[in-house]
Amino acid sequence: MLWLKDVWVVDPSQKLSSPQSVLVKEGKILAISSSMSDEEVQFKAQGEAIETINGQGKFLFPGLIDVHTHLREPGQEDKEDILSGSRAAVRGGFTTILAMANTQPVIDKRALAEFVRLQGERAGYAHVLPIGTVTKGMQGEELVEMADMKEGGVVAFSDDGKNIQNSEVMRLALEYVKLTGLPIISHCEDKYLAGDGLMRRGTASGRMGLKGIPASAESVIVARDLILTEETGGKLHLAHISTAESVELIRRAKARGVNVTAEVNPHHLIFCDEDIHLTDTALKVNPPLASQEDRAALIEGLQDGTIDMIATDHAPHTQAEKARPFAEAPFGIASLETALSAVYQYLVLTGKLSWERVIEAWSHSPAKRFGLKGGTLKPGTSADMVLFDPGYKEVIEPSNLVSKARNTPFLGKTLQGFPVMVWVEGRLVQRNRMLL
Amino acid sequence: MKLQRKDVLGLEEMDVEEIRQILQTAKVMKGILMRPIKKLPTLKGKSVVNLFYEASTRTRTSFEMAAKVLGADTTSIAVAQSSVSKGESLYDTAKTIQAMRADLVILRHSSSGSASFLADILDAGVINAGDGQHEHPTQALLDIFTMEEKLGDLEGKNVVIVGDVLHSRVARSNAWGLRKLGVNVTLVGPPTLAPAEMGGLGVKLTHDLDSVLPGADVVMALRLQLERQKSGLFPSLREYSHLYGLTTERLKKTGKQSVVMHPGPMNRGVEISDEVADSAQALIERQVTNGVAIRMALIYLLIGGSANVVA
Repeated sequence: MLWLKDVWVVDPSQKLSSPQSVLVKEGKILAISSSMSDEEVQFKAQGEAIETINGQGKFLFPGLIDVHTHLREPGQEDKEDILSGSRAAVRGGFTTILAMANTQPVIDKRALAEFVRLQGERAGYAHVLPIGTVTKGMQGEELVEMADMKEGGVVAFSDDGKNIQNSEVMRLALEYVKLTGLPIISHCEDKYLAGDGLMRRGTASGRMGLKGIPASAESVIVARDLILTEETGGKLHLAHISTAESVELIRRAKARGVNVTAEVNPHHLIFCDEDIHLTDTALKVNPPLASQEDRAALIEGLQDGTIDMIATDHAPHTQAEKARPFAEAPFGIASLETALSAVYQYLVLTGKLSWERVIEAWSHSPAKRFGLKGGTLKPGTSADMVLFDPGYKEVIEPSNLVSKARNTPFLGKTLQGFPVMVWVEGRLVQRNRMLL
Repeated sequence: MKLQRKDVLGLEEMDVEEIRQILQTAKVMKGILMRPIKKLPTLKGKSVVNLFYEASTRTRTSFEMAAKVLGADTTSIAVAQSSVSKGESLYDTAKTIQAMRADLVILRHSSSGSASFLADILDAGVINAGDGQHEHPTQALLDIFTMEEKLGDLEGKNVVIVGDVLHSRVARSNAWGLRKLGVNVTLVGPPTLAPAEMGGLGVKLTHDLDSVLPGADVVMALRLQLERQKSGLFPSLREYSHLYGLTTERLKKTGKQSVVMHPGPMNRGVEISDEVADSAQALIERQVTNGVAIRMALIYLLIGGSANVVA
C-alpha cells in the first residue's frame, strides 16, 4: 500500500485543493482524508507493507489527459512512435493520451484503431486511446464506419490536420456520429483563407514577409461548425482554438445550449505572433501563434469555462525537417514533456490562470467530455496520479528528452515545476524525472 | 574600415552609420568602375560563391562583376527551385559550401529568412540577394545611393513606392533604409497588395496614388508579378495600369521634376509607360550601374583586408 502524506491535493472533480493524505492500494485510490492517523493507515493496510511518501511542498493531482497528440505511428516513426510518445507523456505528467488519426495510413478502419490501442498497451506507459478519422482516407468525402470503430476503441472522430471543407459532409458526420455518442473533433481551417500561409496575418507577418493566415481562416469554420452542431444536435469538440472571435462564438453558442467543447494549446496561451523570428521554426505551428489580444481572450476563455480544456497538440518532427528555412519547415511543436511546466511557469506562477483551473482543464474536463476513465482521485478509481514538485528546475535539452522530437521552443531554456512521480493504475512509471 | 558584421541580411538590422559607410564606400567603388581598366587586386585569393535558387540575371551578374572587379574568384551555383521533398536541403548545401572554404556567399532564395538561416550555419559571410518577400538589401542600398546621387541629402525628402508592396522584398528593404535616413516613405498599392499588415514597417500606407504624388521627390514603381491576377489579387492589368501605372501625365502631379525608379525587369505599359521608362527622369539604367558599385562596396567591406582601397 502507498501512503502519500501531507501532500497538497488538487482534484477539481472533488473540489479539493488542500493538504491531504492519500492511500493507494491494488492500483486504486483507497482513501483521501485531511486527517489520517497512523493507526487508521495501519488498519487500512490490513497487514500489507506500507510505503510512505512525504508529499510536503508538492502537489498531487489526477494524471493529466491530453486529448490531442500526434504519435506518428503507424507510418512516420522517424518523428515519433507510440512507445516514445507515451514515454514522453508520462514524463510530462500525462497518464492518458488521445492519438490523432492523421498517421500513414490514416486511422479510418477498426483494425487500424485496434493496432494503435494495442501498441499503447505494449508500450505500457500512458493509456493510449485512438481517435478515428471522420472520413475515409481523410478525404473529406465518405464517412468511416463509426459504430464499428467505436467497438474497436475509438473515443472520438477527427480529420485533424485537414478541415472538412464540404459543409454537407460535416453536417452528415455530426448527424451520424449520434449513433456512437462520441464527439467529432474539428480542425477549423478554411483552406482558401489559410492558403499557403506560414504565420498569423498581422504586422509581424507583414514585416518579415512571411505569408499570412488571417484569423478568419479559423473563425469562419468555427461559426459554421457551431451552426451545424446546433442544427443536427451532434456533439462537437473544437481543436486548438486560437482566435478571440472563436472564443466569442463558442461563448455565445454555449449560452444557447449547443453541445460543444473546445480546447486550447499551451503555446497559444504563452506565445504570440510577435515572438516569431525568421529562423525560429520551433514556433511555426498551425493554427499559427495569434496576436496578443487573441492570447488574452484565450486565457480569459479558459478561466471562465468557455474553453473547456487544455491539449498539447504534441506534433513531433525530425530535426532535419525543422532545420529548414521557415517556409519549408513543417508546422508543429512537440510539447508533451514541457507543456505542463510551461503552463505552470508562464501562466500559473504569473497569476494569469489558477492552478486548480489548469488541472481541471487537463484532467476532469477531458474525462467528462470524452467519457474516459481517470481525471479524478475519487476513492475507488484507478490510481493515475502525478506528484508535482513546484520547485524542480530542469534545462530542456536533447539529452533529457525522451520524445524522438526536439522541436520545442523551450530547447535550451530552464523550466520550473515538474512531475517528479507519475503512477498509472497505481504503478510507478516515472520517478525523479526518470522513466521506470 | 570593415563592417563590424559577418553578413548583410537586411536593412532592418542595420544602423544609419553602417548605411552611410556603405554608401560612402560605394562612391569610391563607382569611381573604380568608371575607369577604363577596372580591375583591382584587393580580393585576390578570396572566393565568392553565388548561390541562386531563383532565376535572376541582373542581380547575379551584378554581384559577379562586382566580385571580379575586386579581384575575387567567383563561382555561380544556380539551383532549380528548391523542393522540400527532394534534392539537397539548404542546410546540406550550406555544409558543403562551408567545407569548400568559401569566403563569402551571395544567396537568392524564395523563402523569407533563408539568408539568416544560411548565415547561422556558415562561418563565411552571407549577403542576402533577396530572400522570399523579406528583404533585398543590396537593391535598396543601390536605390538609396542613386537617390542621393541625384538629390543630395535625403532627409525630409518624399519617396513614393507603388505596386505590389505586400510581396515585395524591395519595398520592405527600401522602407527600412529610407526611414532610417529620415525620408518620408509612402507605400501605395491596391488594398489587396498593400494591406494593413504592411503598417508594421512604420511608414505611410495608402491606396490612392494620385493623392500622394504632389511633392514626391522620387516615385518608384515595383514590378507587378502578372500571375497575381490569377490569384485574384487584382482584376486586370488594364485597371491596375489605370490606377497605378506611371505615365507622363500622372507624374506631372508631383509638381516637380521627380525622379522615377524601377528595380527591373519592367513590365512596360503596366506599371510604367514606355515614355516614362525612357525619359530623362527615369534613372533605371543608372540604378543598374550603381548596383555594381554598391555590391563592390559590400563585398569589400565584408571580406576586404584592412588595406584602404582608396589609397
